[in-house]
Amino acid sequence: MKHFKETLYDSICQEFRIDKLYFEHKTDFQHLMIFHNAQLGRVMTLDGVVQTTEADEFVYHEMMAHVPMFAHGRARRVLIVGGGDGGMLREVLKHPVEHVTQVEIDQAVVDMAIAYLPNHSAGSYDDPRLNLVIADGMDFVRESGEQFDIIISDSTDPIGPGEILFTETFYAAAKRCLNEGGIMATQNGVPFFQPDELRTTWQRMAPHFEDMGFYCAPVPTYYGGFMAFAWGTDIPSLRNIAPQILQERFADSGIRTRYYNPAIHSAAFALPQYMIDALNEAS
Amino acid sequence: MADSRRILIGATAEERARLEALVAQHGSPLLLFDPSTLRQQYQALKKALPGIDLYYAVKAHPNERIIRELDALDAGFDVASAGEMDMLMDLKISGRRTIHTHPIKKDQEIRDALRFGATTFVVDSIDELKKLTPYRARVGILLRISFRSTQAVVDLSRKFGCESDDAPAIIHAATALGLHIKGLSFHVGSQCSNADKHVEAIRHCHKIMLQLNSSGCTPMSCLDIGGGFPADYALEGFDIGLFCAPIRKALAELPNDWHILAEPGRFLIAPAVTSVTTVTGKSMRHGIRWYYLDDGVYGSFSGQIFDHAQYPLQILREGTCQPSILAGPTCDSIDIVAEGIDLPELETGDLVIGHQMGAYTAATKTRFNSLPDARFICLE
Repeated sequence: MKHFKETLYDSICQEFRIDKLYFEHKTDFQHLMIFHNAQLGRVMTLDGVVQTTEADEFVYHEMMAHVPMFAHGRARRVLIVGGGDGGMLREVLKHPVEHVTQVEIDQAVVDMAIAYLPNHSAGSYDDPRLNLVIADGMDFVRESGEQFDIIISDSTDPIGPGEILFTETFYAAAKRCLNEGGIMATQNGVPFFQPDELRTTWQRMAPHFEDMGFYCAPVPTYYGGFMAFAWGTDIPSLRNIAPQILQERFADSGIRTRYYNPAIHSAAFALPQYMIDALNEAS
Repeated sequence: MADSRRILIGATAEERARLEALVAQHGSPLLLFDPSTLRQQYQALKKALPGIDLYYAVKAHPNERIIRELDALDAGFDVASAGEMDMLMDLKISGRRTIHTHPIKKDQEIRDALRFGATTFVVDSIDELKKLTPYRARVGILLRISFRSTQAVVDLSRKFGCESDDAPAIIHAATALGLHIKGLSFHVGSQCSNADKHVEAIRHCHKIMLQLNSSGCTPMSCLDIGGGFPADYALEGFDIGLFCAPIRKALAELPNDWHILAEPGRFLIAPAVTSVTTVTGKSMRHGIRWYYLDDGVYGSFSGQIFDHAQYPLQILREGTCQPSILAGPTCDSIDIVAEGIDLPELETGDLVIGHQMGAYTAATKTRFNSLPDARFICLE
């Protein structure tokens, strides 16, 4: 195959030239590919859908890690559910955290990412602060007695292995693993094409948090404009941290970013009207 | 039971030597696959239906070697189950090149298909439409209309398809559910003797689509004309170009920006597979010669039961013909391959050849009596 055609939608599809195929793996109804594309660098696809590319992964990972981390301001313990490519771990570990637990369902994904997407994890799987648990994310939040300040659900799409991570059972169980004042953030698809996912998550997640909503960022290879991230916490003021405080926290951290900055952080909570309308339909 | 099938008596020395060598090498029974015949059939149908995308009905013969050959020809694939999709996925064929055509699906089947990458689905009722609602942003839907044919050997419009009068209501219901019906599909039945029913169905669908398109519905632009292209079981030198001429004429009347597809199975693969069985024993009962073969209706000849097919048979030796029966290897009395036929006297070890045996043969075989499958041999 010389081209990869995404299979997400029937009437439209984005196509990528495969300049070099690094890895292709097919197991139990799951098809994973990593290839090089001249424009995007290494591209990882799962079941015909783009998961991450070297060129634009920074938008996704910075926004999903730094927004809850800087909003919280003193997160010590972080849980990442999924995120096998290691990009989320890399960003979280830039903060002065004491401990990160990452729960990934498949060791093979981690091994494959270290081998073929090395720039994503950039060595962070060797960090002594990490406890990598190979388990089902749902089982972990249900059975683990551990508590966290931030929980990030870096899952695949709701149709596929990540299905359970979009259920009300998961949101409820994850909430119980959050320390007081903790924040949960989850990836929630591209609402321009998938407004149903926005509505469904709102209906399932909002009952478990004092404040639940969405923020967004445009990830170029997630075709359709803004990607939405779900946001849940019991402290409503955390979504409105004063710009100067964010600025101080960001400057103090010394973290260098390519998409995230304090102004983007604040602005990301402003939703386009089509998303607000979609949510109003659900309520 | 009278048997009107074509029986060929005798063979050239060369043909006989070739078949005997294959049995000496691979054993018996065999199914011999000739990829060059498949390529010829595919090209012939492409030429007979220019501009139409062909989706091979995987169910006709779900064999990896056959799928690989069609993959190389850039064919599409018509799938109807998770198992069929899994086979294509093993061969790294993208779901983008497939359509899922089973009108009745479990939710898990829809989810599996979407993960595989098949986004075209077929429905024939409002109930079935509703199952697709959670996936409405991703799917393209074809509404299957029933057109019953008295000429088809296998009627595929009794079990599936809505009445054409019900189509507008279903399409309006889809719009209300936020679902897009991108076009219509039909299947006039298998092994049609002529294309009259195809033409009638195309014209009727054309009319329905134009009516609905002018009524403000989201435009429909896709027509799936199904299958029904026959195999040449009579060995009469069937001309697919001639068969499809009325279809071409009917399609020429459609707007030229419509996307037309077809789901051929039988026509493509039937002539590309030949069965080889061996006489394992013989007896004389009530003046009729019985020959027992090592393959029968529970095996490669299962299509004689499920598909109502009568495959042309060939005996390699010549001689005075006498009333004969060819029986299969199982203990069941229904396992008769052919009776009411006249054959030269056969000997144990003789080969009996079945022609046009690629479609719905091995696909429906059973493991009754724990007999082994006929071995599939590719001739390239």
